[in-house]
Amino acid sequence: MKIPVLRIYTIGYLIFLYAPILLLPLFAFNDSKVIAFPLSGFTTQWFAQMWADEQMFNSFKNSLIVAGSASVLATTFGVFAARASTRYNFPGKAGILGLIMLPLVLPEMIVAMSLLVVLLAVGVPLSIFTIILGHVLICTPFAVAILTSAFQSLDRSLEEAAYDLGETAWSTFRLIILPLVMPGIISSLLIAFTISLDEFIIAFFLGGNETTLSVYIFGQFRFPAKVPAIMALGTVLVCLSICLLTIAEYFRRRGIAKTGAKDTGGFL
Amino acid sequence: MNERPTMIEFQDVHKYYGDYHALRGINATIKAGEFFSLLGPSGCGKTTLLRTIAGFEEISSGAVLIDGKHMEGVPANQRPTNMVFQSYAIFPHLTVEENVGFGLRRERLAKDVLARRVGEALEMVGLKGYGARGAHALSGGQRQRVALARALILKPKVLLLDEPLSALDKKMREQMQVELIKLQRQVGITFILVTHDQEEALVMSDRIAVMFEGEIAQLADPETLYRRPNSRKVADFIGTMNFMPASVVSESGGRIEVDTQGFGRVEIDAAQAPGATTGNGTSIGFRPETLTVLFEGQVAADRECMATIEEVVYFGDMTYYDVRLDGMQTPVRISMRNVFGRPVLDIGTRTRVAWSPGALVLFR
Repeated sequence: MKIPVLRIYTIGYLIFLYAPILLLPLFAFNDSKVIAFPLSGFTTQWFAQMWADEQMFNSFKNSLIVAGSASVLATTFGVFAARASTRYNFPGKAGILGLIMLPLVLPEMIVAMSLLVVLLAVGVPLSIFTIILGHVLICTPFAVAILTSAFQSLDRSLEEAAYDLGETAWSTFRLIILPLVMPGIISSLLIAFTISLDEFIIAFFLGGNETTLSVYIFGQFRFPAKVPAIMALGTVLVCLSICLLTIAEYFRRRGIAKTGAKDTGGFL
Repeated sequence: MNERPTMIEFQDVHKYYGDYHALRGINATIKAGEFFSLLGPSGCGKTTLLRTIAGFEEISSGAVLIDGKHMEGVPANQRPTNMVFQSYAIFPHLTVEENVGFGLRRERLAKDVLARRVGEALEMVGLKGYGARGAHALSGGQRQRVALARALILKPKVLLLDEPLSALDKKMREQMQVELIKLQRQVGITFILVTHDQEEALVMSDRIAVMFEGEIAQLADPETLYRRPNSRKVADFIGTMNFMPASVVSESGGRIEVDTQGFGRVEIDAAQAPGATTGNGTSIGFRPETLTVLFEGQVAADRECMATIEEVVYFGDMTYYDVRLDGMQTPVRISMRNVFGRPVLDIGTRTRVAWSPGALVLFR
């Protein structure tokens, strides 16, 4: 009999990718402090415990502030850079764009360490503000990459047509360019938000006394008693992510249907 | 035509892109209400010239005047011109109505007035009832009409059309040509069309400027351009032209005597040599339809000569004969309308060919 190698490989790959995530809800509802099989019964006490943890809410709030600010800032910078790189020619353009994209391949550790050294030397107190600074730095290249492709697919004569019909440069941007690159902007916001939410090293280095969710979760793993509650938190996060992705996909498809473009795959 | 006031004036317009000299001293005037075409191969500067009128290209030197006003420093959104783009540039996220009414946005019209004007514009281009549709759901021809309505609704002094028909299939293109001519007569606005399609230019225009390499080679009405091209290049670009080596024997009193390879000595009018001397050698040119293959019993109205048929191309309504006139080394093309009951001749047939000195053009 012929062994379906590729099929086994694909199934194995998917199991490796998603099975650990399935373990989260499994142990979140398991009535035992030990994360191990066999399961010992159903409970919601870990969710209650998580809900009562003020420190968790505080770091969750910090994470939302950091991810929200970083994604908005990075996307704003991304719009500027993408517009400049697709529309204008200026000396040193390739070099400047290269430098903007560099953090993409730079180890985060280096970014975090060098920023820490500079901030301490300048005397800026570490806070969520400094985390935002670091996150904008690493999110911007992603925003630029996504937005450049959105701006590139824009027909230049659309802009000229609006200008020709009496609009100013600014109203042309607002009425024509912005709506047409909106799917790109939403993608950029989502990706920057996700990257920032996940990020650990910079948040850990530059946070000072403030903790983000990722730093908080890592800290909790030191206490075995807290682990089931972390599982509960993880379960909530997975559900939130699925909701967010569904919403994003809905808007992407609606955008495509509205402009009649061809669907070329997922929003990433 | 002559009483019409001037709408556009180019005064020694030059345009450089770095070292590249895109427009080399354009001088021309376009009259109000005229259907004017800029015709030339790609890269000849015709689109650049059109865009200098719209305000999308700044000129390097010279002047562009619209309705007597200097356009230097006047941005595109304040010029009395509107443009139909090659890609139509229909805003894909707006409806047909919103596209057509886009230019009126700044006038802050009452809703019913806006709706009425948009409705009128759509009716003018034959898209009545399409207003609520999404712009992305339109066919090529419909997009074209939306682009026209969107530009004309602002009642510009000049409508600029940048290769507007090049994306349409042949049938649609011919239909739109006729519609554009009708529309232009109806609204009376000056139309300036950029095209590389000589047939399109001949069909639609009152006057045509033929451009090569940033210069206007000839500016004339379609008939003059076709019958009296002022250079071999223009003659070659517009329709088909046969060339025959020739030399000028004498020239006096508005008559030129020419010794030709295939027709012998001919006397022609000085008007039949509209071009300046270029020094590239002298030749006589004539269009394929000015020669006629004579069948038995037919008599030439003017002159005739002997020839051998070398190639026959049958087109249904037309037949192209490539014939070698006695005394010539290379064949010339003759196009003949097919008449019912008359045979198509075979290759190798000896035949008489009728020609006329009045149809010749001399290039020097």
